[in-house]
Amino acid sequence: MLSTQRLSLWYGKQQALNEVSLSFERNQVTALIGPSGCGKSTFIRSLNRMNELIPAVRTAGQVLFGGQDIYAKGVDPVEVRRWIGMVFQKPNPFPKSIYENLAFGLRINGYKQVQERVEMALRKAALWEEVKDDLHRKTGLDLSGGQQQRLCIARALAVEPQVLLMDEPCSALDPIATAKIEDLIGELKKEYTVVIVTHNMQQAARVSDYTAFFYLGKLVEFGNTQKMFETPENPQTEDYITGKFG
Amino acid sequence: MKTQPRPAPRRQRWRRQKGALFAFLAAVALLLGVAVVTALIISTGVNSWQLVAMHATARTGLALSLRSMDVSQSIDGRRTFPFVTAAQVESNSQAAALGMQQGDALPHLLGRPVFSSSDVWQWVEDMPAETTALPLAWVPKAETLIGSLKAEPIPGQAGKFVIKVSKVNPGSPAEQAGLQADDVLKSAGGIPIEGARQAWQAIVIAAQRGQSPVTLTVERAGQTLELALQAERRGELPLSRNAWDAVVEFVTHLDEPRYPEHAGLASAVLGSIYVVLVTALIAVPLGLGAAIYLEEYASRNALTEVLQVVIANLAGIPSVVYGIIGLEILARVLNLGRSILAGGLTLGLLILPIMIIAAREALRAVPQWVREAAYGVGATRWQVVRHHVLPYALPGVLTGMILSLSRGIGEAAPLILLGAFLFVTYLPSSLLDTFTIVPLQIFSWATKPQPGFNTIAAAAIIVLLAMLLLMNAVAIWLRNRYQKRW
Repeated sequence: MLSTQRLSLWYGKQQALNEVSLSFERNQVTALIGPSGCGKSTFIRSLNRMNELIPAVRTAGQVLFGGQDIYAKGVDPVEVRRWIGMVFQKPNPFPKSIYENLAFGLRINGYKQVQERVEMALRKAALWEEVKDDLHRKTGLDLSGGQQQRLCIARALAVEPQVLLMDEPCSALDPIATAKIEDLIGELKKEYTVVIVTHNMQQAARVSDYTAFFYLGKLVEFGNTQKMFETPENPQTEDYITGKFG
Repeated sequence: MKTQPRPAPRRQRWRRQKGALFAFLAAVALLLGVAVVTALIISTGVNSWQLVAMHATARTGLALSLRSMDVSQSIDGRRTFPFVTAAQVESNSQAAALGMQQGDALPHLLGRPVFSSSDVWQWVEDMPAETTALPLAWVPKAETLIGSLKAEPIPGQAGKFVIKVSKVNPGSPAEQAGLQADDVLKSAGGIPIEGARQAWQAIVIAAQRGQSPVTLTVERAGQTLELALQAERRGELPLSRNAWDAVVEFVTHLDEPRYPEHAGLASAVLGSIYVVLVTALIAVPLGLGAAIYLEEYASRNALTEVLQVVIANLAGIPSVVYGIIGLEILARVLNLGRSILAGGLTLGLLILPIMIIAAREALRAVPQWVREAAYGVGATRWQVVRHHVLPYALPGVLTGMILSLSRGIGEAAPLILLGAFLFVTYLPSSLLDTFTIVPLQIFSWATKPQPGFNTIAAAAIIVLLAMLLLMNAVAIWLRNRYQKRW
């Protein structure tokens, strides 16, 4: 579905990723964990070429999506981002109406029946019941933090991506909103391949099927979540999971 | 647990004093601002208020003009005596109805001598608010007052003349006083009569000095006679001192070279509006386009670095220099002449760098996560700019544009160099017409010596400030109304 092969990345002269090879399974949730600055956010942002928006970023290696290297010459990053959606750490709805937040992506990607698709996406993100009366009256910024993040998920889902990248989607939310998002992730994996970066190991254990542990820009260990949390192979992984560092 | 290291005492003292220093600087800035506003109010506000009196006087049909009489020997230590005449009396006006004619003199306003037109306006201004009539005295012009005079040279005395009455106007005050043809006029109210034209002036000055009737010393057949000449007439002019009317007249009248009470700002205001429109037309698209390119598209390389330095430096170039560019390139090479188009383009070049900088600031204020969010759903760069960055930055962009346009509208120097006219008595009707603008009109009036022009220069300054304040108010309104808070 989606995999990386020896993916390296540099911010100017500083190397942030070092030959990461990783494969994500269809309709599974993969959690990326690791201490701050280990490269997990950089990694997830390089999966849909979002890192290119930062000046002086250089990548090497391949990211294969459906067998095609998305970093190959002639591949339009706009097209890549359209198939590989993203939810960001801080909820970032557009300062427009709830409806427009979703309709924008639909329109620029040439969808018809925008209204139906907006409703569908909001239902998938478990937000429809809460906002259906305010679609045009409230802006995305009028919602609560948890609702904003679900709106961002809905916005990503509206254009029917195949992969959903989530960069610490719950780090700015309270426990109740976090629980809702986590439930939602469980629902979403039925249709999408989900990659989630998290700081919270309990969360990784709760929501993911596979876990990848990053440290200092390298992939240290990757495997089944349950196995990784119970019997990690690498001593570094064990130290991190048991809270000895990080 | 370790104790926190204490900050060095010197540092602490500086931290305390820093607050006081900044408070002091802020207070100085505030005081300067207050001083500037006060000076402005004193110099223009007080000055320009006479505009109302000027227009009230002018509305009666009078245009006042300053004259003076010269005598060969000083009287009371002076040899020049200023007085005021009605340079114009409009037909069918209230002044004409009173019997005033063009050329009549206004020696005094019921006891208060009039030495200058501004004495009349000051008097009108000082009248109690409920007064609606201006009581005044006037001396009819020489032909009406006397008839005709002739000067005969005195043999052997170069430059000396005998002033003889050649014809006494029937029914004139002179005839009533007993003046006859061939009488020789010697003096009026003690002022020697030395010229045919000066004779009447001497009578006016005598009236101005309070003589009524004026004692006219004449020689008839070797005898010296003293005649009592009832020189002045009296009457009342109805006055309406409506400030709003005065302002409307002022901004709708055309310029007038001689009579400030009739001069208006119309062509300058219209010229300023046309010029600022051309300026906006050139500077807004270019400025916004350049800002979007630099902020959203350009990658950081040597070229864009150079471009930024160039733009920052262009913003600091003295405005006169842009005038030279406008004159050489626009007026001469492109053959646009001293037209509105050339002026507008010159000011457009002048404010372009400011506009780019302002627009870039506004674009930069749109947070990066908005762009990321839009890219995240598969938007192209242009879609991100068109649907998100630009709309969210628009209040800031517009504010910057209006503020830089208002900088442009107040510029005089570049257009002086371009050769814009200082005196225009028509309304410009096409972009290739010559023109003047409000700052130049102010400059033109402020440099005129005649009384009253300083008043209308001050009034024009207030009009200019009102235009600027209006633009700035729109900018502030836009900002407050549409500003996004992130």
